[in-house]
Amino acid sequence: MTDVLPDFQQYQMAFTAHIRNPALHGKPANVPEKRMAVYRDAIFNNFLTTVSACFPVCQQVLGARGWKTLVRRFVAEYAAKTPIFKDIPFEFVQFLGRLEDIPVYLTELAHYEWVELEVTHQLTQTQPCSAVPDFLNEVPQFSAHQLLAYAYPVHQISKKNIPREKTTTYLLVYRNATFSVKFMALNPVTYHLLSLLKAQPLSGRQALKLLATELGQSDPTAILQFGHEILLDLARQEVFMGTSKMV
Amino acid sequence: MPISAVSSPIQGAGLGLKRELIPQIQHLYQDPSIANINFVEIAPENWLGAGGKALHDLAWFAERYPIACHGLCLSLGGPDPLNTTFLKQVKSFLSAYKIPLYTEHLSYCSDTYHGEGGYLYDLLPIPFTEEAVHYVAKRIRQTQDILGQRIAVENASFYAACPISSMDEITFLKAVLEEADCWLHLDINNIYVNSVNFGFDAHTFLRQIPGERIVYGHIAGHFQQSPDLLIDTHGKDVIDPVWTLLDSAYALFGTFPTLLERDSNIPPLSSLIAEVNRIAYYQAQYEHQGVNQLTLPTALAAVS
Repeated sequence: MTDVLPDFQQYQMAFTAHIRNPALHGKPANVPEKRMAVYRDAIFNNFLTTVSACFPVCQQVLGARGWKTLVRRFVAEYAAKTPIFKDIPFEFVQFLGRLEDIPVYLTELAHYEWVELEVTHQLTQTQPCSAVPDFLNEVPQFSAHQLLAYAYPVHQISKKNIPREKTTTYLLVYRNATFSVKFMALNPVTYHLLSLLKAQPLSGRQALKLLATELGQSDPTAILQFGHEILLDLARQEVFMGTSKMV
Repeated sequence: MPISAVSSPIQGAGLGLKRELIPQIQHLYQDPSIANINFVEIAPENWLGAGGKALHDLAWFAERYPIACHGLCLSLGGPDPLNTTFLKQVKSFLSAYKIPLYTEHLSYCSDTYHGEGGYLYDLLPIPFTEEAVHYVAKRIRQTQDILGQRIAVENASFYAACPISSMDEITFLKAVLEEADCWLHLDINNIYVNSVNFGFDAHTFLRQIPGERIVYGHIAGHFQQSPDLLIDTHGKDVIDPVWTLLDSAYALFGTFPTLLERDSNIPPLSSLIAEVNRIAYYQAQYEHQGVNQLTLPTALAAVS
């Protein structure tokens, strides 16, 4: 394949192959080591800085040496597809997803850390909200958010707290009105309620009745009252921007 | 978000819009102390797909300042196919924010790896060969066709000469500009950096520049790793020999809109502004002398 490429492209391929994996590919002939090192170091350090900024907990869990090794593998083994800088961390998450020799909790943790960046930039659909919100009779409008379920308690992981076993964990990451990203652990019922509201435009009452049916409650009164309070509480924390009329 | 971008031309002196500088510029907006910031420059790779606060800030600037776009990842010299999906996103972005100028580097930042195109996010040196001239020129033309407008291509800094090169940098640059029929984005600091890294005379190089193609300029500081190796970090103040080169460029070609790049080790705006003012000062010298000035409004006619 490479022998059909013109000389300048063969040279370029040799140049980048060496930058990506100097242990496997020697530098192109007649390029001074000191000059080649500028590119090798600059590119590795760029990747390291960009990725480290997004994944501080993964970095802490692996330790400095383990983290660098992982980023080296990212440069050496993965062809990043995005020209857009803020999307590089997602490429890293995809890269980790392909690795079979790292623990699942680490892949999940990396995803959770990336979600903060995603929610920071997420575009929200702006349905006009009613002047006075009505969480029972109108459709709650989410702020920018991600509703997440992980096999491990990713929000509690630290160097001193490595999960030993799976515990299904429900989390909400959202952006408030002043652009701050917030994190919230959810119980399974609240997670289910929010999933129903996300799946289709339902009023709070419709979603809570559906929830009652699914929970096998023939009388939804208690769930309606309890659920309404949950929705109001989430609204106070700016998980919702407001409510809009049913279309 | 509705955007009411201004569509005034890029002219005078400008400043690269780094996130650190945004609140400072917003705070001093319309203050005489920063009056010489006539335009700002952004990299589409830093802003495409932005939302939340970043989008809010971008809209603020688009309503108040002309914006120039200076790309980093188009990879004009890259071995993988030109990323036309990305280019179309850039086109929409330029249109949404009424950005008249898009420039890119005469370099590459991607490869074909395990059969897939992959980005390396840094500016790598294209070997200066005949084949490379035709290849890059064709990709610049393809870019201009997709955008429906001319782009300006920047002379890049580099650190490793390609042993297979069959011509020098100025010959390569002129050949590409000619064959692609594109504009030149003249980076003054890059001329200086390369003159030290490869032992040529910066002023001799400058005199061979096709001045009629210049639409835009950059000036920046660099890091001296050793006496014969300068790294284009944009992390320090501009040094005097580089200011002298800018002055010479204005003397030779007339003034052109010129931007101060500062990408790392960023000082407060109150001290950075001195360098923007210095660009404006040199420009004023030549404008008063009536030297032929090449401005973007006339040069920026779309390619037809």
